[in-house]
Amino acid sequence: MTFPFDRRFLFVTGKGGVGKSTVTAALALALARRGRRVLVATSGARERLSTLFGVAPFTAESRLVAAGVWGVRIDVDAAMREYGGMMLKSRTVYDAVFDSRLVQGFLAGVPGLHEWAILGKVWYHSTETDGAGRHRFDTVIHDAPATGHGLEMLRVPKVIVDLVPPGILRRDAERAWHDLTDPIRSGVVVVALPEELPTTEALELVEALTSELGLPIAAVVANGVLEPLFTPAERQALLAAVPSGLAQPGDVGSSGEAGLMSAARRAIREELQAEHLARLAAVAAAYVELPLLPHGAMSLPGASTLAERFG
Amino acid sequence: MEPRRLCHVLDQSRVILCAGCGGVGKTTIAASLALAGARKGRRVLCLTIDPARRLANALGLERMDTEAKEVEPARLTAAGVRVEGRLTVMMLDPKRTFDDLIVRHASSAAMRDRILQNRVYAHLSSRLAGTQEYMAMEKLLALVHDPGYDLIVLDTPPTSNALDFLDAPGRLISTLDSPMARWITDTFAAPRKSRFDVVARGAALALRGVARLTGAGFIEQVAGFLAELNGLFGGFKRRAEAVSAALRRDDFAYVLVTSPEPASIREVLYFAERLAEHGLRRDVFIVNRVHQAPGATPTVSEVDAALARLGGPADHAAGASCPTLAERIARAAIEEDALARRDRENLRVLDELALGPGELCPIRVLVPAFPADVHDIAALAGIADRIC
Ligand SMILES: Nc1ncnc2c1ncn2[C@@H]1O[C@H](COP(=O)(O)OP(=O)(O)OP(=O)(O)O)[C@@H](O)[C@H]1O
Ligand SMILES: Nc1ncnc2c1ncn2[C@@H]1O[C@H](COP(=O)(O)OP(=O)(O)OP(=O)(O)O)[C@@H](O)[C@H]1O
Ligand SMILES: [Mg+2]
Ligand SMILES: [Mg+2]
Repeated sequence: MTFPFDRRFLFVTGKGGVGKSTVTAALALALARRGRRVLVATSGARERLSTLFGVAPFTAESRLVAAGVWGVRIDVDAAMREYGGMMLKSRTVYDAVFDSRLVQGFLAGVPGLHEWAILGKVWYHSTETDGAGRHRFDTVIHDAPATGHGLEMLRVPKVIVDLVPPGILRRDAERAWHDLTDPIRSGVVVVALPEELPTTEALELVEALTSELGLPIAAVVANGVLEPLFTPAERQALLAAVPSGLAQPGDVGSSGEAGLMSAARRAIREELQAEHLARLAAVAAAYVELPLLPHGAMSLPGASTLAERFG
Repeated sequence: MEPRRLCHVLDQSRVILCAGCGGVGKTTIAASLALAGARKGRRVLCLTIDPARRLANALGLERMDTEAKEVEPARLTAAGVRVEGRLTVMMLDPKRTFDDLIVRHASSAAMRDRILQNRVYAHLSSRLAGTQEYMAMEKLLALVHDPGYDLIVLDTPPTSNALDFLDAPGRLISTLDSPMARWITDTFAAPRKSRFDVVARGAALALRGVARLTGAGFIEQVAGFLAELNGLFGGFKRRAEAVSAALRRDDFAYVLVTSPEPASIREVLYFAERLAEHGLRRDVFIVNRVHQAPGATPTVSEVDAALARLGGPADHAAGASCPTLAERIARAAIEEDALARRDRENLRVLDELALGPGELCPIRVLVPAFPADVHDIAALAGIADRIC
């Protein structure tokens, strides 16, 4: 199945460093090429998306960062204030809540509150309309935190729905949860590298998202895929021909033999990669492989190359 | 590179803490350091967090084990490793550690059940910001004086920000031990006690605001949860001070693990600077998964000759438009060489900034990237050989 381009809200997560920001950028470009207006939202203190798009750091005000792509940085404290401001109509109460250092310190540690402020704000962008009632953005992509924290963030609205008594907070969380669990509207994009640990973690994440939370998976993305040089049969034969100890490059006979050693190490990697890619491909309806770019992916041309792979 | 000096660290430290950003190899390096220490005759405890399943199994750990478990000498000898000392491993599971603490410290069965059955606790105990890091420190405090071990190697949780383990316990403590939490606790958990100072009046107003958001009763539950915890651990602040003192002990060494990727190097340098700001030591940089050069990048005819000599594989992809097998083998060597060069280039930055005049960190050790994962004792020993 091809990538579901019609979702309104995409939540990109995966193990740290696997390429979530890169995939977010590539996806945004792929969607924009299809004529959609895309907002990419990030909350990291040290976001790298602006570097990737080659623009000034993202701010709380969304700005055009590429044709059809807007970028915004969600500031937790600002989001909390804003949310509070909308809900607490009384100025005095509002000030008391948000200008009190005591309260701030406490709120910072209440489990899930920060996560909800961020997720709630990004989700709100996906519902935002202009004067004519038209959606401001066709797709909002959240470059979300890494696995553990990302899962936590998605769990918060459910915990609120389950735990918090009826009130404004609960009402909003119910609305967000309704959208997030709707497979027509939303989806999680799970990013992984074709290595043992990232793959295992991605599979566990998919399991937790679907069984525990009932959230739709938009796609599994295998990033950093090494282009295979050898067929499976050649890999086996290379490993058989080359003496063991090949993990250590160093003194080998001729340079031809050094080449064979190198090829054997490559064969091991390709074998393992094939195994992990098969595991990833098996868990999701939509599955996309992105190649490992030899010169890194921290640039607009890099992200554009990857964008083509989304079809 | 001065590997001998990492040996000194292994000989002389009481605690070695491995930190670095996500996925760089903290758990792997921690286990290798522990093995290296045990080989040198020390009785080592490796406190590991979320090891890959296969690595855990290789060390003899079951999935849910949280007890300290000695790696049986038979396992070590089977892997060709001779250990003079002793290697014990223990998996840290923050949720379990938290439950254990409560079971251990609760003054009565009623109190224990009240906490464990608190709905907020059930959902959020392991998610309270900083819990995992706090629990790692808690475990460390409990073990640091244990006479059964000479050396404790501590792994850190997979955070995207390597500094979290330093900051998070403080954040948790300031939440639980904040005047606000105490005030909420007094007001809600013990409703008879009322206080009428200005702070309390402001907070009361604020709290009514928060309660308007959360609906009735929720804040009380959170407060009840926090109050029970705070009472239980008898002043988190005192413990925070103990942790902070432990972190500054002379025999406490910091090993900063990084990959040769520029982003990871930037992160580890930033981390080293922050450690310096905290007045903490930076003892060793370990650069893990460094690509090695193939030794030579052969021509296609040299590859052909070697294939003929070794009886190499037949060309399975042969076809007019595809490169021949020999061409592809030559390309594998060229690509491996390019990776090695790029890593060397990236490491220059680390050397200039970290080992230069400012000398952020005196020792740098490189660990090669192996073609397969490191998930057995022999592979750990391979790394141990490199570092000491
Ligand atoms: N397909 C690719 N080819 C080459 N390099 C890549 C590829 N994808 C990502 N990278 C590089 O890997 C590094 C990590 O990528 P990225 O920042 O997107 O990961 P992340 O998952 O967002 O990380 P974090 O968890 O720190 O937010 C970057 O230097 C990026 O350029
Ligand atoms: N030198 C190496 N060569 C090849 N593979 C390695 C090397 N070091 C570590 N690995 C592999 O990399 C993966 C990640 O390693 P590890 O679990 O130690 O990282 P970590 O920093 O503890 O990750 P996390 O942040 O998730 O806790 C593991 O599968 C491990 O086997
Ligand atoms: Mg990122
Ligand atoms: Mg780890």
